[in-house]
Amino acid sequence: MGKICTSLRDFLEVLEQEGQLVRIKEEVDPEPDIGAAGRAAANSQEKPAVFFEKVRGYTNPVVTNVHGSWKNHALMLGMDKNASVKEQFLELNRRWDKYPVEPRIVAREDAPCKENTITENINVFDLLALYRINEQDGGFFFSKASVITGDPESPDDLNKLNVGTYRIQVKDKDRLGIQALAFHDIAIQLEKAERENKPLPIAIALGNAPLVTFMASTPIAYDQSEYAFAGALQNGEPVEIVKADTCDHLYVPASSEVILEGYILPRVRTVEGPFGEFPGSYSGCRKQCEIQITRITHRTNPIFENLYLGIPWTEIDYLMALNTSVPLYKQLKESMPEVVAVNAMYTHGIGVIISTKCRYGGYGKGVAFRLLSTPHGMPYSKVVIVVDEYVDPFNLEQVMWAITTRVRPDKDVTVIPNCPGMPLDPSSYPAGMHSKLIIDATTPVAPEPNPREVELLEPPEDTEKWEEIIRQHLEQLK
Amino acid sequence: MKCPRCDSENVRVMTKAPVEEAWEIYVCDKCCYSWRSTEKIRIHEKFKLDDEKIGAMQVIPPVPPLNEK
Ligand SMILES: [Zn+2]
Repeated sequence: MGKICTSLRDFLEVLEQEGQLVRIKEEVDPEPDIGAAGRAAANSQEKPAVFFEKVRGYTNPVVTNVHGSWKNHALMLGMDKNASVKEQFLELNRRWDKYPVEPRIVAREDAPCKENTITENINVFDLLALYRINEQDGGFFFSKASVITGDPESPDDLNKLNVGTYRIQVKDKDRLGIQALAFHDIAIQLEKAERENKPLPIAIALGNAPLVTFMASTPIAYDQSEYAFAGALQNGEPVEIVKADTCDHLYVPASSEVILEGYILPRVRTVEGPFGEFPGSYSGCRKQCEIQITRITHRTNPIFENLYLGIPWTEIDYLMALNTSVPLYKQLKESMPEVVAVNAMYTHGIGVIISTKCRYGGYGKGVAFRLLSTPHGMPYSKVVIVVDEYVDPFNLEQVMWAITTRVRPDKDVTVIPNCPGMPLDPSSYPAGMHSKLIIDATTPVAPEPNPREVELLEPPEDTEKWEEIIRQHLEQLK
Repeated sequence: MKCPRCDSENVRVMTKAPVEEAWEIYVCDKCCYSWRSTEKIRIHEKFKLDDEKIGAMQVIPPVPPLNEK
């Protein structure tokens, strides 16, 4: 196992050593260069991170596509960069069970994110090389910010500290817009504060340890701690956190590049958007919440980390791929131990493939129902494909084989109307409502009849030996 | 100067480049659109805004009622 990085800077160093970071020394323009490079990196074979040393008019650097490839994803986990997606899924599963690894609280003077403090004339543009990500975005956005809020009713419960990824539009030098959808954790906390007409304290962490950012975009239960999960995913290495300066019950990652602190203004909504979103299209303008920034702390010469979103796959897809799959797998596995693996990598779990052994007739459909009643699956998942336990759900060729040879459309394809939907899915109408599609591609088991039972082809004896011989020959050709 | 999205004249300089006077950023106080002086702004027809569209926008999340004192 390689090194697991606990700060963005350490991780950028590893990426560079492994040939997965491109450094641009020439001066670039904020638009369209940085957004274009994010798209271009996603289009390339190696999909490296891109680091801009000098952006016109700004003083500090920008990095994009840090999580944007399976190689970078493997390096984030401290694995060999060529580890397969299924290997990475299994490793994440293993580490998931280490939860909780409680974060370590460090003193203010030991936290790199507090090296510098700004309390007057706050201007995010002085510090961060903001740029328009996609042409029709309504302004300059943070697309990779980890947002920290607490529960106003239980300020001392660290487990109710929420660390999530929300899109943030810069509205002014010290004002931000934030999208808090009704089913997001932050909306629960906000509602409690707004009923009392009180501001909701908030901290925004930019340029975090790669697994902290990864966990911030992972759907977990309201009373579970993202920090304790990130410690588990860091293979047992606790996340170091430090108390926010402006609020006693908020803790921020100590190693982050920049921390913005402030509060959500109660009962205020102003125009936000459009913003190019993860379904590969713009989500239009809505009236959304605003944040007043009152304090900034930052490392010296902070690196601004942001991501590009476009038609999949781009960087954002890697931040909602296996971290969407693993929690759904764990939730299914609890009551249905026959489930072997879950691939929920398509558009944040709107498309899901589950492989399972079927205990009795109709079991495949039952597994799909279970998925559709999980907290994340209920609004998000729309197309659910269930395959047998020997089909690798991460291998789309095998999945298509299962669909083409196992499915009888008249009984195995089911549409359930009028269910919850994901509002950012442009086919959801009204936004937030949808129908669900289940394709049961498992082989029938009793009492369901299987009148044409088949004998599966097995790999010939010595296949593994020949895999090795061919691999060695290919190695010599290089 | 007018806002390229809603045509309001209620626009102002939000900030200037920290170094080299390389650009300025403007913001519309009516529709919150912001842009940089060095950008070529082409707003799609469907993303243009007026009073009617702003008035009809969805509010996310809905503002809850105040608790009784
Ligand atoms: Zn305007």
